[in-house]
Parts: sequence; C-alpha cells; structure tokens
Amino acid sequence: MILSNGIIYESDKQDEILSGLEEKIYETLKGPSLTPDIVISALDRLASRIDNGEFDDIIATLDLPGVDDMKARIIAMLRKDSLQYRLSVELGDSYSPSSSFVTDPPHGMEKITVRRVPLGTIFHIAAGNVDALPAYSVAEGLITGNINILKLPSADNGLTVKIMETLIEEEPLIKGYVHIFDTPSTDVHAMLKMASMSDAVSVWGGEAAVTAIRQMAPSGIKLIEWGHKLSFCYISGDYKKHEKALRELAQHIMITNGLLCSSCQTVYIDTDDMSDISGFCSYFLPILEEAASSHATNDIGGIAESSLRRRTEEINSILTGKPAAIYGNGCSLIPCEDSELVLSDLWGNIPVKRLPRSRILPVLREKKHFLQTAGLIADDPDVISDILIRSGVTRIMTPGKMSESFLGEGHDGTYSFERYTRVVDSNIG
Amino acid sequence: MRLRRRLFSSKDPYAFKTTRGIFVDAMAENCACHYVKNAKYKKILDNYGFSPSDLKLPEDLENLPFIPTAVFKRHDLNTITPGTPFTLTATSSGTGGKMSRITFDIPTLWNALVMAIKVGKHRKLFSLKPCNYIIFGYKPHKSNKTAVTKTALATTWYAPALRRVFALKFNGTSYEPDLDGMVKAIEKFSHSKFPTRFMGFPSYTYFVMKMLDEKGMVCKLPAGSKILLGGGWKQFYKEKVEKDTFYALAEKVLGVKDTDIVEFFGAVEHPVLYADCVKHRFHIPVYSQVMIRDPKDFSDMGYGRTGLINLMTPLAGSSPILSVMTDDLGILHDTPCECGIDSPWLEVIGRVGLKDIKTCAAGAEELLKGGKDK
Repeated sequence: MILSNGIIYESDKQDEILSGLEEKIYETLKGPSLTPDIVISALDRLASRIDNGEFDDIIATLDLPGVDDMKARIIAMLRKDSLQYRLSVELGDSYSPSSSFVTDPPHGMEKITVRRVPLGTIFHIAAGNVDALPAYSVAEGLITGNINILKLPSADNGLTVKIMETLIEEEPLIKGYVHIFDTPSTDVHAMLKMASMSDAVSVWGGEAAVTAIRQMAPSGIKLIEWGHKLSFCYISGDYKKHEKALRELAQHIMITNGLLCSSCQTVYIDTDDMSDISGFCSYFLPILEEAASSHATNDIGGIAESSLRRRTEEINSILTGKPAAIYGNGCSLIPCEDSELVLSDLWGNIPVKRLPRSRILPVLREKKHFLQTAGLIADDPDVISDILIRSGVTRIMTPGKMSESFLGEGHDGTYSFERYTRVVDSNIG
Repeated sequence: MRLRRRLFSSKDPYAFKTTRGIFVDAMAENCACHYVKNAKYKKILDNYGFSPSDLKLPEDLENLPFIPTAVFKRHDLNTITPGTPFTLTATSSGTGGKMSRITFDIPTLWNALVMAIKVGKHRKLFSLKPCNYIIFGYKPHKSNKTAVTKTALATTWYAPALRRVFALKFNGTSYEPDLDGMVKAIEKFSHSKFPTRFMGFPSYTYFVMKMLDEKGMVCKLPAGSKILLGGGWKQFYKEKVEKDTFYALAEKVLGVKDTDIVEFFGAVEHPVLYADCVKHRFHIPVYSQVMIRDPKDFSDMGYGRTGLINLMTPLAGSSPILSVMTDDLGILHDTPCECGIDSPWLEVIGRVGLKDIKTCAAGAEELLKGGKDK
C-alpha cells in the first residue's frame, strides 16, 4: 500500500509514483510552508481522537504489555503543550522557520543573519521493532517542516498509514509532505530513487541495516542513524544499602527482557575481586527471582530460547571450567572473569562483571558506538556519573527508570528536531 | 558397532514400532563408544550423572543428556578429529561465522548411504531415466564444506544427471543468487524430453516460481519431474508460505503436482534423512527417535504437544551426535497417516525465539535469529 499526496495506491504503482515524485516535491516546496504550529495542532487533535477510542481496535492488536498506560503516555506526548515544550527544549523558545537572528560577534567581526530551517526532504527507513515508530519518525520530520518519504518495515500492520491518513484529515496541508511506500528491502533500486530525492536519510535498525544504508546512500547525503544500542548497570559501594534500587533493577531486567536499547545487558561491580562478584550474585539472585516470578513469560518461544541458552552455558562451563551461571527460577546471573560490555542472554539471564572505576573508560570506550543508558547505584553517584559521561554514555538513570522516556530528553545523545533542521547563514539584507 | 549395523540393516526404514528395542541397544552401544573415546563427551555425561549403562529401556532415553546444536558451534566435540584421513567433515551453514563441524568416518558414511538408499527407494526417488537438475543451492566449491551443499549434490544421484544448474554461484568471495538464470534454465528444460528435478532451498524455489508467475510464464515440466526441497527457509523465514500455497504455485507454473514434491528435514548435527511422505508428513525412520521436550524442564512431553525437538540417532561413531537438541519447536504425532506408514510423524512449528520478537538492543536481532552465538 502507498500513501502519496493524501491518496492511497496499490503497491504496484510504486515505480509510476516515484517517477513523478520529484516534481511533486518541487510543487510542495513552492507552496505554503508547514510550520510547527500547524503540525502540532493537528497532532493535538489526533491525540483527542486516540483518547476517544478511535484507534482502540488497532491498539488491541499490538499485543503490548501495559498497553493502557502506553496509550495514555502517547496521548500526553502528542498534546500541544508537550510538543511545544519539546520544541523549545530542542530548538529554543523562538524557533520558527521564518524567524532569524543577527549575530553579534566580538572584535568588530562581521555580522550575519542566521536562520534555522527544515532540511528539506527526509527519507525515513523505519524499523519494525516498535509498532508506531514509522509514524513517530515522520511526525518528527513534519514538526520541523520537512517533506517525508517513508519506507515501511516489512512487518508493518497498517497502523502507520492509518495515523497519517488521520493527520491529513485533520490538516490537509500535510498531504504534500507525506509519501509512504511499502517497498521491500530487496528493492534497492527504488530505495536509491527515494534517497536521491532526499536531503537526508533517517535510518532506524540494527548494525546490518544501518551499514547497508551507509553503503548504498548517495554521496553527500546527510545520514541520521538511530541504531541499536547497549546499556548496563554500574554498582559501586555498599549495594546492600540500596535495596530499593536493586529491586527496581530486578524489575527492569525482567520487564524489558533485555530487548530494549535501554535494557540492562551487563551488571558491573566496582571491584577487581571475583569473590565480590560471587557475593553480589548470591545477594541479588533472590531479588531477581522475585521479579521473575511476577513477570514470567508465557511465550513458549521465549521460554525455550532461555532454557536452551541455559543448557548451552552449563555445558560450556563444563567444557571450559569457567564459572557456571547461578540459576534461579526463570533467571540467572553469570559471574564473568572478563569486563567486556556484552549483550545478555536476554530474558533475565545477566552477566555480572568486575569493572573498577579506574578501568571504566578503556572498557566502555571499546563499545563507544553502541553506548546508551547507564543505570547507576553508587555511594558517590556524581563521581561515577562524571566518568560514565566521559566514556560516552548518553543517559544516566536510576535502575528503575532506565527504560522510561522523559519529555525533553535527547535521543541517543542528540535532539531529533535539531538533526532534522539546518542552519542558513546570509549577509544579504 | 554391531548393534548399529543391525539397526541400519532393517529392511523397512519405517518399521519404527518393532525396532525400538534394537534402537535403544544401538544407542547404548554408541554412547559407550563415545564415553570411552571422547574425554569431552565423558565430562558432559559425568556432570549430569549419566552412564552409558543407564541406557536399557526406551524410557531411559529421556535421561540421556542432550547437547544443544549451539554447543557444537562453539566446541569441537568430535570423537575423531576433523581432517583425519578417510573421514569427511561437514559444517552447518554458519550464519554469523559460527558453525558446527562434524566428522564422519567410513562406517558412519556407509550407514548414511544405506539409509539414503532405503528412504529414497521408499519415496520412489530412484529413476534410471536421466534428468536435468535445477539446484536452488550452492554450487560446490572447495571452500564450501556445508552439509546442505553436499546433501543437495548427493540427491542428484537418485537419478542420473544430464546437467546440473546451480542458483547460488561463488564469485570468488561469496555466493550470489542467479535467479534470472534459473528462470532461463527452467524454460529451456521445459522443452526437453527428459524430466527436470529441482533440489534445494524452498525459499529460492518459491521466489523463482513467483518470478515465473509474475512474468505470466507457464513452463510445464516433462512427465516424471520432481521438486525436492531441503534446508529450510533460513534468513527468509518472514517470506515463508503455507505448504498449500507453495504446492498450488508449483502446479500452476510448472505443472508439478504436490505428490511429486518431496521435502527433506535434517541437520548436520543430526544427519538422518527425513523425507516427507505423500501426505507431506515427516515420519520417523528406524534410524532415529524424536522426543519433544518441555522448554521449562526438558521433560518428555509425549505426543500432541508443542515443545523443543530433541533428535536422537546412533548413526555416527565419529561424533557424539546421539542426542541433539535443536532450536526448533515441534509436535510429535502418533495419529494414523493416510500414507500407510505406521510410524510417528514430526510437525516442525518453527525456530525458537524468532517470531514476533522486536528488539532495539545491539546484537539481539542476530542472537535471536541464531546468527551470532555469544
């Protein structure tokens, strides 16, 4: 299914639509601009329609845990005041594509007029790992005034087109700014055509997807990568004094199952002594087990995956002599001798490693392109935070909030709205 | 191994119910052989408190420690070292760089040959009439040691080959699919007086059939043509279609009915030949036993319930692959099959952890697809 200029087409019309799309983009660029206020107002009305139950049927098919809470959060984040707040944090209070300011440099240096404007056309390649992600990516592009070409993920369930159709209903001016294609990833020719019409490619996905896009993207095109990330928890000092934080960490591990970019994959202890690792594992396992019992998955595939990995690690331990995992009901902790930041075995099977604070930098810098959230439990959090920031993390949170989203926060260390705009300098006028 | 030889000399490859006693005896013999000769295997069994002498009755098979295929990808567990003279080494496909390497000595290969002949005869795969082969798999290359490549080539010995055309060709560094070339070859062979046999991955076979259909082409293959499938959908699991869809398209564009479509199931870590019956079910041959295990505690779930597929065979004296746990979920059925084979049959549901798992954690996608082992 294709949505272009507000009209739905069958997928076999792709080549025909793409051949005329550049002309349509020029027409749109010549027409009235899409200001943030216009889009934000439309999104606010969309939030009301979601709140009124118009999307409940589709939301019910998403099979998400805590879907009612999630719906409430989405509605709150789409409200006018929330989006305006976000805009002011990310681009400053006075942002608008028509506004400008004149610089006033010291030493009598020449002044120029500076404007922040949309990038132009953004080609979004969305991943299928979060159901509303493609629509979210396009919405960010619209708020910043961009024309948006979207390649849907293969697993898209129709939600994206439905959201965009609703938005266009609320604000018809948006129709020239949204072009959605269900192009398969194997249709490189079509994707190259979409990229050639764009000022930037915004790509969501794992290493393979991001690398593939990097390799095929036209030379000079701006690349905005939202790749997969690794997160961890760092524990320093007397952790027995932080029982609440440990319980929150356990809940976070079992709720997210290691599947989010902000999920704790590895637990680090500020020590060089393996006996401290064993001691922590013995202390934390009952806490983790308690969390596991209240979040046990019923998914047979997940249970099987977890059990198989457990057996594999057991045999690995038999053959190598390395310390075996410590198993609880539905979870495990694996004391490790190395310090590498690694992906956990998912579903509550967590490696626990030594990482004295003096070694945080060299160890974490090995994974600098993937660092995201550090959960922190420490007697001196400010000192450790400073080291973690220097190592390259983009979020430092209490363990219970590692996967929480906050209005005004960045996305992987940057602001999306800033990435979707450009600065134009002029000494004319 | 005497008892193994007795089992594999069974006249009827599907006399499952009357051979369980000799099967258990052959398993005990095989287990004892590896326990004595293979220090790593002995270590595993000792750790789980199991001794080969514990294998006396069919119900004892539940207690035989199984080895997940992932372990073979990480460790060389072979009883005979790969590369030893007069052995063959085959590997799994190894997406992500980790692969199982399994050694086969001559007695093992002989028993595998006996098995392939008996199963092939039962499924009427033998023919003296030469045929053209379209292989939706890898063209053999000295760097390619995968079992799927060797098996595809071996399958072309069921009927003399006039020529073999391969879909995946080695370009010096990697394999590239040549699906347009396959379309041309199919069209050419459809005019031949000799039958055509397809052999290979169901994914590429299906993609090429779709290409024919989209081009509006119908290439009715000569009488006696067959479509042989093996290797699974692998990285194309999202494009997998229902069997009925596949069969309908094969009849539409190639004129091949589903009774001439044979699917194989197996793995390098369990190289028993499972060929589906005329009703497209994988009956368990005498050479193996399948146990469905509860993912929570690995107990035997019996018939009719979904669990992890544990495959057992005393086939190999060169590698301790006697009880292997796959990454697949399945159901074992004992309901009678209209094909007439009186042996339980296995229904493969799919890979563990694959479907519907969404993640943005770095490396998790590959981990869940089984591509990268940690």
